[in-house]
Amino acid sequence: MNNIKIKSKNLNVYYGDKQALFDVNLDLNEKEVTALIGPSGCGKSTFIRCINRMNDVIDICKVTGNIEMDGMNINDKDLDVVSLRERVGMVFQKPNPFPKSIYDNISYGPKIHGKGETKSELDQIVENSLKKSALWEEVKDRLDEPGTSLSGGQQQRLCIARAISVNPEVILMDEPCSALDPIATAKIEELIDELKKTYTIVIVTHSMAQAVRVSQKTGFFHLGKLIEVGNTEKIFKNPDNKMTQDYITGRFG
Amino acid sequence: MTKEERLKKRHRAEKRFRFYGLASILVALLFVVILVQNIFSKGSSAFKKTVITTEIFFDQDLLEIQNGASQEEIMEADFYDVMIENLIKAYPAKDRAEEDELLKLFSGDAEIEIKKAFLKDNNSLGKTITLDLTASDDIDQLHKGNYPRDLPEERRRISDFQLVIYDYFVENKKISKNFNNYFFKNGDSRDPEIAGIGGALVGSFYSILICLLLAFPVAVLASIYLEEFAPKNKITDFIEININNLAAVPSIVYGLLALQILLATIQLPRSTPLVAGITLALMTLPRIIIPCRASLKAVPPSIREGALAVGASKFQSVFHHVVPLALPGTLSGTIIGLAQALGETAPLILIGMVAFVVDIPSSPVDPSSSLPVQVYLWSESAERGFVEKTSATIMMLLSFLIVMNFIAVYLRQKFEKRWN
Repeated sequence: MNNIKIKSKNLNVYYGDKQALFDVNLDLNEKEVTALIGPSGCGKSTFIRCINRMNDVIDICKVTGNIEMDGMNINDKDLDVVSLRERVGMVFQKPNPFPKSIYDNISYGPKIHGKGETKSELDQIVENSLKKSALWEEVKDRLDEPGTSLSGGQQQRLCIARAISVNPEVILMDEPCSALDPIATAKIEELIDELKKTYTIVIVTHSMAQAVRVSQKTGFFHLGKLIEVGNTEKIFKNPDNKMTQDYITGRFG
Repeated sequence: MTKEERLKKRHRAEKRFRFYGLASILVALLFVVILVQNIFSKGSSAFKKTVITTEIFFDQDLLEIQNGASQEEIMEADFYDVMIENLIKAYPAKDRAEEDELLKLFSGDAEIEIKKAFLKDNNSLGKTITLDLTASDDIDQLHKGNYPRDLPEERRRISDFQLVIYDYFVENKKISKNFNNYFFKNGDSRDPEIAGIGGALVGSFYSILICLLLAFPVAVLASIYLEEFAPKNKITDFIEININNLAAVPSIVYGLLALQILLATIQLPRSTPLVAGITLALMTLPRIIIPCRASLKAVPPSIREGALAVGASKFQSVFHHVVPLALPGTLSGTIIGLAQALGETAPLILIGMVAFVVDIPSSPVDPSSSLPVQVYLWSESAERGFVEKTSATIMMLLSFLIVMNFIAVYLRQKFEKRWN
C-alpha cells in the first residue's frame, strides 16, 4: 500500500446557492491511478478542480473543508496557487494546446517557473517531456510547427507533455479521452500506465472499462456525494453499495 | 393543399427572397456608383492647375538689389513692380483698364512665384527667364471647361476682353495644365487656385496621432481589466452598459464637452489638433473598447485554463496568451475607430477648428484645420474652384479611410488564429 498523497476531509463546494459537493472524504495514494466515476454533473470534475484550485477561476465558487497534500492545506487562502499548480498538473477534457509551436507549448511552463535557464536545458526538458508522453518520435522533426496542427490524440499527449514539463507530483486528468478515437485512447491509457510510476494520477472518466483498465482505486460519485471508494477490482466486482452496483452495471447514469 | 403544391410554394418563396436580396444589393451598389462618380467627376480636375507661360525679365533697377544679394535681401526685396512690368507684356494691352484685366488672369500669388523662381537661381538678375505662373481661378475653370463662355458678358466672371486674351494664350500655346502641387502643400486661401489641403492634412495627422496615443493604451488596458480581471458584479455591469451607451452618443456632444472642459475650464488653445485629438480620443474610446473586449472574449477559456494549469499566474495567462491572441482584433478595432475619428466633423467645428487657417501647423498646438472640416468650409464657398477642391478633398479623405479599413481587414485575416 502506497502513502497517502492527497487527503480531503469534509470537502464542500458551492456554486452560488447550489451545493456541488457534500462532505467528500477521499484519500488519494501516491504513485497510483485513482479513477473517479459517476453520472454527469455528479461533482467528479469539481472535486479534481479543488486539488489544483482551478475553481478559483469561477467567481461564485466557494470551497469549505480541508484538502491536504503531504500535510499542506491546499484550501488555505494564503497558499500560492502558482506553486501549487506547479506541483499539481492538469489535463483537460478537450485538448487545449496553446496556438504556438510544439516546442513553445512545452517550454512555457518551465520558463515561467525559472526551470531551464539555458536553451540546452530547455531543449532537454522538452525532449524528456515529449518522450515521457510518447510523442517524441512523432514530432521530433517538427517542433516548430504549431501544436494545433497535430491530430486530436497527439494534441492530448502534447497537453500531457506540457503538464509533465514542470515536473509535478500529481497529474489531474479530466476525461482526457472523451474527445478521442479508440486508438488514440489506447495510447493515452498506455501512457497513464507508464506515468503512474512517477506521478500520482487522478482521472475522471465516463468509461467504466477505462477505469478498470487504468486505475488501482476507484471512487463513485453521485449527486455531489462520494458514494463509495475502494480498490478498483472490488468496486467493479463486488461493490458494497447498491447504487454503485446499479451504475456500473448500466442500470442508471 | 397537396404535397406538390406546398413544395412549389416553398420554392417560390425562396426564389422571391433571393430576388429581394439581389435587388437590395444592386440598389446599394447603384448608390455607391452615383456617389463615387459624382465626386470623381467634380473633383478629379482639382489635381491639375492651369499655368500661363510667361517671360520674366529681372530688372535690376526695379528690384533695387545687387548681384549676389543674400537670401534675406532677396526675401526683403519688392518684386511687385517686376511682376507688373512683365505681366502686362504678356498681351498687348491698349490702356490701363485693359492692363488691369490682363493682370487679373494671374493668381494672387504671382509675385511670390516670381520671387521663388528668383531665389532658386539668383544669377538671373538682368536676365530673362521663362516661368509657368499659376492662372487665376476664373481662367483655371475656363481652361478646364467648367465655365460656360457662351453666356452674355454681364453674367460671366470673365470679361469679353479677357476671353480674347485667353484665346490668344491658347493659340500661342502659352497656357497649359500642370500637376497641382499647391493642392497638397498649401494651406487654405481665399483664392481657390492657390488653396490646398496641406494644413488640413497636417492638422488631421496630428489630431489622429494624439487620438491614437490617448485612446489606444487606455482602451486596451480598460478592456483587459474589464474582461479578465474585474469581478463580475453590479458595478462592472453598470460600467459595461455605460460604455455601450457612450459609443452611441452623438459626436457633437463630445464637442460640447470639449468646449466646456478643455477650452473654457482648462483653457487649452482653441482650434488646435491637441484639443481635437483629446476630443476624438474621448469619442473613440468606447468605440475601441467594444471590439477589444469582443476579441478578448473570443479567446477560448481553455487557453486561459491551459496556462493557469501549468502554474501561470493570472497576469501571465492574460499577457502571455490571451492578449497576443486578441491583438489582431484589437488592432483592427482600433484602426476602424481611428478611421471614424478621421472623418468626424461636428465636434471639431465646436472646438473652433472651423477657423480660416492659412498657415500649415508646425506643432499640435498651432491653430489648424482638418480634412472633414476643410470639406465643410469649402463646400460653403461659391467659387467653382472650391467646388472641385471640396470633391478632391473628399476623395483624399475617402482614400485614407479605405486604406485604413484595408489594413484593419488585412491584420484580422492574416494574424487571427482560428479555433475549430
